[in-house]
This record gives sequence, C-alpha cells and structure tokens, in this order.
Amino acid sequence: MVRVPRSSRSGGADTVAAAPAGITVGQPDADARLSGPAAVSVRDLTVAFSTPEGLLPAVSHVSLDLDRGQITGLVGESGSGKSTLALTLLNAVPQPGRVTSGAVLIDGLGDVLGLTRRNLRRARGASIGYVFQASQNSLNPLKQVGKQLLDLGRSHGESDLRGLLRRARTLLDDMGMDANRVLASFQHELSGGMRQRVGIVFALVLNAHVLILDEPTTALDMLTQASVLEIVRKVHAEHHLTTLVISHDVGVIGDLAQRIAVMYAGRIVEEGPTATVLADPRHPYTRGLLTAMPRITGDVALARPLPGRPPDLTSIPRQGCVFRERCPLAMDICAAAEPPVTKTEGGERRFACYAAAGETP
Amino acid sequence: MIEVQEITRTFAGRGGLLRRPGVRALRGVSLTIPDRGAVCLIGESGCGKTTLGRILCGLEDFDGGDLVVDGQSLAALKAKDRARYFRRIQLIHQDPYSALNPTRTIRQILDDPLALRARQLGQDGAWVAGRRDELLGLVGLDPAYVLPRYPHMLSGGMRQRVVIARALTVDPEVLVADEAVSMIDVSLRLGILQLLRDLRDQVGVAVLFITHDVATARYVGTGGELHVIYRGTVIERGTTDTVIQHPVHPYTQCLLSAIPVLRGIEEPGAARIVPTAPLDDRQEPSGCLFQPRCPLAAPECAERQPPLSQLGGTVQEHACLFPEDRPVVAVPAAAAAD
Repeated sequence: MVRVPRSSRSGGADTVAAAPAGITVGQPDADARLSGPAAVSVRDLTVAFSTPEGLLPAVSHVSLDLDRGQITGLVGESGSGKSTLALTLLNAVPQPGRVTSGAVLIDGLGDVLGLTRRNLRRARGASIGYVFQASQNSLNPLKQVGKQLLDLGRSHGESDLRGLLRRARTLLDDMGMDANRVLASFQHELSGGMRQRVGIVFALVLNAHVLILDEPTTALDMLTQASVLEIVRKVHAEHHLTTLVISHDVGVIGDLAQRIAVMYAGRIVEEGPTATVLADPRHPYTRGLLTAMPRITGDVALARPLPGRPPDLTSIPRQGCVFRERCPLAMDICAAAEPPVTKTEGGERRFACYAAAGETP
Repeated sequence: MIEVQEITRTFAGRGGLLRRPGVRALRGVSLTIPDRGAVCLIGESGCGKTTLGRILCGLEDFDGGDLVVDGQSLAALKAKDRARYFRRIQLIHQDPYSALNPTRTIRQILDDPLALRARQLGQDGAWVAGRRDELLGLVGLDPAYVLPRYPHMLSGGMRQRVVIARALTVDPEVLVADEAVSMIDVSLRLGILQLLRDLRDQVGVAVLFITHDVATARYVGTGGELHVIYRGTVIERGTTDTVIQHPVHPYTQCLLSAIPVLRGIEEPGAARIVPTAPLDDRQEPSGCLFQPRCPLAAPECAERQPPLSQLGGTVQEHACLFPEDRPVVAVPAAAAAD
C-alpha cells in the first residue's frame, strides 16, 4: 500500500485561549521538538458535563500535542477524563457533555470541533481511526466481519469496495491472521485478541493517518496483550501513523509509547518522553503511580499504595491543585491556586506541581 | 491445610451426534495450600486456573481426583454433605461491582452471614455487631462510613474490601482470589494486594491467588509457591521467587517475556521468547502439550510428555525435557548498564 504524504501544517502558530486567573496553560511549542510539527494539537480544551450539580469539567484546560509519527501514551485512572479527551479528537463527546473551550487541530483537517456534520463524518475513519475501549464487544454479533466491513465502506461513500476488501486483507495478513477466515467469521468465532485486531483493521482500512486506541489490551491475558502491542507497534511504523494509546496501565504505556502524558482529574499533570518521565517522575502523582505498581524487577517490598481514592466528576476539588488531598508534598499554596505548568529540558517535559517546581512551604 | 489431588474436569461438548469433543479444563492438578500459606496460579486465558478456583469453592464439580479439607476426602461425600467443608474456602470475585447486591446496604450484606455464623457458634446479636466492626477494621474500612451505604456509593477498592470482609464472616481457612484486582483502579490495587498479604498474618487465612499478571502474583505470593498452568496441567512449580527469576520451562518463559518493559527503568531480558502460534485448544498434540507453540521444541517433544520433576537438577519442578534457565525477565536499567 502506497501512502500519499499529507500536507504538513505549521504547528505552534496558533494562539492559546485566555486562561482563567491563576491558571497558566502550557504554550504549545512544537518547534522545540526534534520530531517536527505535531500532527494533532489539542489546545486549552475544556469539556464539561451538565449534572444536577451544575456544569462540571471532565477535561479542564488541557493542551497536548501528538507528534507526527510518534506513539503518545495517555495514562490515567477511571474518571480521569482520558476517554473524554480521546472522544473529543473525533468531536464525539457524548451528551450531556460539551466542549466549552479550546480547539483540536488535526493535520489536514483544521479544527475538528468546527467541522460541519458532513465533513466530520468523512474525517472519522478517513483521517482518524478509533479503536474503541469495548472493541472486543463492539462488532455486530449477527453479521460476518466481512459484511460489516462493507457496511463501513458504504456508509463512508467508498466507491471502490473491492479495494477496501483488498486493504483489509493486507492488514489482516500483516497482523498474522488468516484474512479469508476472519472476514467470513462471526464475532463469537474470534478470540479476544483477534477481535481487537479486527478493531484495528476497521480503524485503518479507510486510510486514517491518526490512530487512537482506547484501552487496547484491557481484558486480554499477558500473551495476547504482548502480541497486540507488537501489532500496534508494527502497523504504526508501516503505515506512518500518529498514534495515541490510552490506558490505565502504566506498564502498557511504558512499553509502547515514546511520549507519555499522565492525566489526573481532567488535567495533564505531567508530560514528556516516556523514558525520562518514568526514570525521573516529577509530579507526585506519577511517582505515586509507579510506586503503587507491583513490578517484576526490583524489591517487591518497596511498593506502596497511593492513599485516598481517585476523584469523580463531582468530587474534583474546585480550587487549587486537584491532587493535593492525596499528595505527600501538599503545602498551603496547593490549596490556594492550581499549580502553573513548569517546563524543563528545553520544553521537552512539563509538569504542574508547586513542590516539583521548587516551591517550599 | 487443603489438598488438591489429581483433580480432573472435562466440559462436555455440545451438539448431539456431531458433538465436538469436550474441553479438558483440568487434566490432573495437584497442589497443597498450607495454613497461612500463599499459592499463586498463573497462566493464560482458558488454561483452567479459574475452573480450579471454582472447584475449590464448590461452585463446580470435579470428575476425578480428590479434594481433602480438614483431613476429609470430599470425593467420598455426597454433594449435600460437602457444603460445610466448602465454608472453609471462600471466593473473592473478580468484579466487586457485581459481587454485592445493589439493593442492600453494607450492614445488611455483612449481617446476614454473621447472623448465621452466630447461630452456629451460639452467639448473640451483640457478637454480630462487634464482629462486623472488627472485620471492617481488618479490611481498612470505617464502619460508621460504610455500614449505612449501598454498594454504588463506594469506590471499586472499597467494594472489594467489603467483599473480602464478607468472605471473612464465616471464618474461612482459604481465600480464593480470582483476578481480584483487575477491575480496580490502578492507584488502589496495591492496597487490596497488601490487604491479602496482611490477612495471612492477622487472621491466619491462606490465600490462593489466581491471575495472569505475574507482577501481582510476585507481590502477593512472596514467600509462597507459584504454579504455572498450561491447558489444565501444572507445567512448572516452585517458590515464587525461583520460578519468576529462574524459569526453566519455555511456557513460563513466554509468559515472563510478555510482561511489558518500562522504558527508562527496565531493560528487556536478553533471551525473551514468544510462542510460535496462538492457543488452539481444539488440537490435542502428541507428547508435550506446549510443543506445537514452543519456539524451542525438539523432535523428542512430540514423542513424550515428561511428568513434573526436577529433571536436570533444577530447584523447582517442571515438565520439560530440556529445562534451561534463560534470562527472559526484564532487569532494572541500572543493572543492565553495569
């Protein structure tokens, strides 16, 4: 399969919406990165849900660049807003949620949040491929995989259905599956790992250049997980994709992603190259997550649970640092205002913490 | 002490005359759960580890072999007489969201089994209330907070603690925890694992921990035994540390190779191996069951399946003709740089 290079869009020139007082929003400075401009750029995004208690933000003033050709990992617990953020990339935030500020700029598409319904429909699939969290259960149980694939092509106005099938066959072959058997199978005839791979085929068959995987290995055992991760790595490289992997599992992200963004209570609290973030975590939440993880190396007795519990939409602190109630380094200032984003290593890394920025009580 | 002796279980195939052959979920598994001990079972989906856990809890029948609880052989008993032995073995479900009745408060959830237990022990209502608070204290919950609440008002971690407290109401000897933390938030998982470890000392309960996640097995199973199950047979067993740090069976080595390696702090093991094919449980290979997927299989492997032994002078027991300790486990990045 030959890929047509996408027109590159200059990153970093867009302005950031004014942030509320006391909150500094990281300036996207993609120019500082070695890997070129970002393929996807989320700017000061806030997504709020209307609840009986008012409009509550699930994602709050988030800025994140997905560098072209890189795998970015988004790690966070349930309720951290990671899936909401990912759905915003498709402009598909479910009701009663809505985007209250910000922009999602995707290479060759512009601001996804401003697209017309028709263009948005075209963009989903053709530009952005999304593998859903429940992709193992998201296939139609009454139709063979091949028929569902043709449905997908028709609903996207694909005129060359033979070409679509050919691409699907190539993808299935690349993933080490018997294409004819899979296309003629019903969902229940495929194992969990195979369904996950079919989900990836569906996401890529319309030639998307941005791939989003939401919890790609949840509910898979270790061996299947390893093979799915290997396949993601392979299709990512072969199809020159820009990939976002979302997971609650630091292990999966730590293995797969070149860059990691740690999300907590609707904020990205730390972001940077995976190896340096994991080797030297700056935000106390990142550090806490790593210490709370039973690991296969090192002294198992050193693992410590993180106190408290992750907040949900209604219990996210409205003022100050969202992590302070569970934080071993919390100071008075943490309750007063949300910590600004600190950048280090030439803008390669950023974190939002007073203590990590050198503030003392 | 609970002994599992050569337990077998086959699930019949469906479909009348053209029926498919049954699935041999367990092909003769033996293990001993010592008092206050920790035994971990690891293996991929479909290896039979969950079936074994269910058999131990009395939720599933076994076809052959025996289960010995308190010196009593259960195979010799009628089904209705087995119930009182199964009280000694309690299951911690995987999903704390569906394991608790949503229409009952935590107080009701705990009081019912405690009232039953009080009758058995000849105790009164005051004992129930005292024991209830004591158990909640043990699992790290505040009685005043949780008792009047319904399950949906608690986090996954708290619910799992309630499930553990409920299991402890009947004074079990063994807790069977089947993937007990896989549905819990990552920052809260270690708390539950730590609780399972602590309960061994505090209430003298043994833990049978069933998982596919080797790292959690390493944490819970410290100082205990680890059994690696493949297609209904134990293919390697020994102390947790030995099996994880010095695995000799290629299947164990594949499992350990599959653990994600954290960039920046870990380096992949030098001899990582991957199975050559996915699991196909419709196939009944000759010789070693793993041989069709084994990247290191030799012609002899298709001829015979060695029993569990210490062949080759290994510390642990294994069922491989060519055992070899290979460095498949990730190592800390600092050590790799040395």
